[in-house]
Amino acid sequence: MSDIDYKEKGSILNPLKSLQFFARKAVTEPLEPRLASLSYRGFHLNDWELCIGCSSCQKVCDNAAISMIEIPGLPSDPLKGVRNQRPAIDYGRCCWCALCVDICPTGSISLSREYVHTCTQEEIDSYFILPDPNGIHKKFYGYGWRKVADSDLLNLKRGEMGERSADQRSDNFDEIVDGYSLEQAVAEASRCVQCGMCHDACPTHMHAPEYIRAIWQQDMEEAVRQIYRTNPFSHVCGRICTHCCETACSIGRRGDPVAIRWLKRFAMDSLDHETVKAIAAQDKVDYLSGKQIAIVGAGPAGLTAAFDLVKLGHQVTVYEAQAEAGGMTRYGIPEYRLPFDMLDQDVDVIISLGVSIEYNTRIGVDIELSQLQLDNDAVLLALGLQLGRSTRIPGSEHAQVTKAVDLLRKIAADEAFDVPRSAVVIGGGNVAMDIARSLARLQRQQYGESRMTLTALEDLAHFLADPVEIKESIEEGIEILDSRGPQACEIDEKGRLIGLRTWKVLSIFDEQHRFAPSYDESDEQLHAGEMVIEAIGQMSDVSLLGDELTERLEWNRGRLQVDEAGRTSEAWLWAAGDCVNGPDVVHAVADGHRVAASIEAVLGQQETDHES
Amino acid sequence: MSHEGEGHQIGYERLQSKKSLKEILEVATEFERTARDFYTALIPNVSKRIRYLVEELATEEQGHFDLFNELAANPSIENEIERAVAVPVSDSRFSDCIQLPDLGENPDDQTVLQYALGREQAAMEQYTALAESTESGVIHDLFVFLAREETLHKQALEKLYYEVVHSGGV
Repeated sequence: MSDIDYKEKGSILNPLKSLQFFARKAVTEPLEPRLASLSYRGFHLNDWELCIGCSSCQKVCDNAAISMIEIPGLPSDPLKGVRNQRPAIDYGRCCWCALCVDICPTGSISLSREYVHTCTQEEIDSYFILPDPNGIHKKFYGYGWRKVADSDLLNLKRGEMGERSADQRSDNFDEIVDGYSLEQAVAEASRCVQCGMCHDACPTHMHAPEYIRAIWQQDMEEAVRQIYRTNPFSHVCGRICTHCCETACSIGRRGDPVAIRWLKRFAMDSLDHETVKAIAAQDKVDYLSGKQIAIVGAGPAGLTAAFDLVKLGHQVTVYEAQAEAGGMTRYGIPEYRLPFDMLDQDVDVIISLGVSIEYNTRIGVDIELSQLQLDNDAVLLALGLQLGRSTRIPGSEHAQVTKAVDLLRKIAADEAFDVPRSAVVIGGGNVAMDIARSLARLQRQQYGESRMTLTALEDLAHFLADPVEIKESIEEGIEILDSRGPQACEIDEKGRLIGLRTWKVLSIFDEQHRFAPSYDESDEQLHAGEMVIEAIGQMSDVSLLGDELTERLEWNRGRLQVDEAGRTSEAWLWAAGDCVNGPDVVHAVADGHRVAASIEAVLGQQETDHES
Repeated sequence: MSHEGEGHQIGYERLQSKKSLKEILEVATEFERTARDFYTALIPNVSKRIRYLVEELATEEQGHFDLFNELAANPSIENEIERAVAVPVSDSRFSDCIQLPDLGENPDDQTVLQYALGREQAAMEQYTALAESTESGVIHDLFVFLAREETLHKQALEKLYYEVVHSGGV
């Protein structure tokens, strides 16, 4: 301090200098703060009606000034991409950079033109605020910095996916979708804001933000590692997953959701098969538990459980009635949507870990379920919905009236059958589209033209099929007739099926949305066809249980009753997949994990009890 | 089963020939009782997987049976019990459904539901027709009430049918 000359030695007359101001006009300023500019970055505003609690603002904030606060009473629905959280701002950290505004997927956050806040020491917490549309002091000073196209950090447009045109695809079973190039995949991955809404919505809670980030970093091994944390059917799900992740994607609020499914497909296709196998085996234990587990059904649920259990050191045998594994993913989904070699790769990864599959082995016929109980420490039923429902309308017992699932199975197994020159499908779901498109391809291959008609109770806007399936079906020449109620399969005097007779559907549901179809009987049509295919619903074949076990088991409105972990009322028996939940692949995968964890817990407890 | 069917054919003829409210209610009560007994007898013949469905139908018909007994004992109905009612010509659907069918050895859920739906439809139409053929008053209100009851039950069954038969195919 000694070297600083802090002692002012001014003139003694200095105070008199202030007298010069006496004659000047006083300058006054209002106590209210001056209005800031239109793009001022003042205190935050947040429109709670628009905000979905995605936390993108929190993640982008370099100063960690934003915390997500759970608000009781707000809606929370992972499948719709809504969290009951709202961002709170710590103005001790905020630097008003407005990145939170620029990245907000919904545009709910903006900055106001308000910038003054003072308080006493006791009120210091008032610098931590939960912004709402009214402003920090419940007085709206007007919008300052808001999201505009120039400052928006989001790319709202999805990268185009190349696919075969209708002409290129409609006479063959080649895969329709091309898949992304590396450049396309990285660009698409860069659209992700890492909010994790996809993770919450996914039935098996795939680590999509992590694998998307890895793809963006061009680290495909890391991407596949993240994928395999929760999904051993990743080639399959990369192609035909129902992708509720994309429905929940926050980018989809204002633009196209990130193509999460196609990114997964890209990552999986990027690595050679041996590398995928090595990644899948990374956390497999190096000992045998001595426990044996039998799984009935080599579909996604059964094989996912097998994947988990074999990695825990258990000996797992899967019994499959068909000649190949995959369940409905092989025998229910056409190859142009899911190439068999992709499914084969997923299955081969699981087998490579030590899972044994007994093909062409039908439980209840070749081996009794009771035998599996005797020979194993646990038994898992992982049955699909392999039986088709019938409308049971007059004429539906005719030999040329068949179920879609039966015909799809024949096509997948390459079994010979007489391809009809014309056919009528009943149903408006994906299975109906699958069989219509598959038969149309076979017709073109054999006859050079296709004559397929699809009729459904629902109007086109309420079809259960994915919109893309409907669009592609129409492109491929399928005649889709909506709001048609099947009345009879018409048979001529020689006993030949000639088509399907329908009435116009006036309504399907009543005011309470209960199924109560009403028809205009005067609007009757006959849709010509040598074959009628029913694709209205499916169910599991539980005949393998036998009468005695069926009686012993508890049921829940037509389905096996299981607890939250998938265990039935019989201590040795678990159930998973479409026969208890479903029906789609990713739910089956989630079910397989859940049941495997339950089996592991029970076997572990038995071991502990035995030791003590 | 065939024996019961014959019994119901007689019951149907009785319904056509009777004119008093008392007789109509008696036949309607019998209609519900035999349905209840039919479903109750069916319970052990169906797979346990779908037994819930037949049990619920039996319980529902028991409820209807109790309702008719209560109605018969209701003073306002009792006062009108001998009153003649113009019974409409019952439609053929009602005729078909009043005869108990043979659903086979081990009927499945779709078979049971289709039968139950047809029966509820017939009952709903019958009570609606009776309501339309009576003047305003206690008896008219009674048939309106019964028609609404059957309509609600039919709607519940239709919802269940859609869930059971038209599910899993998406």
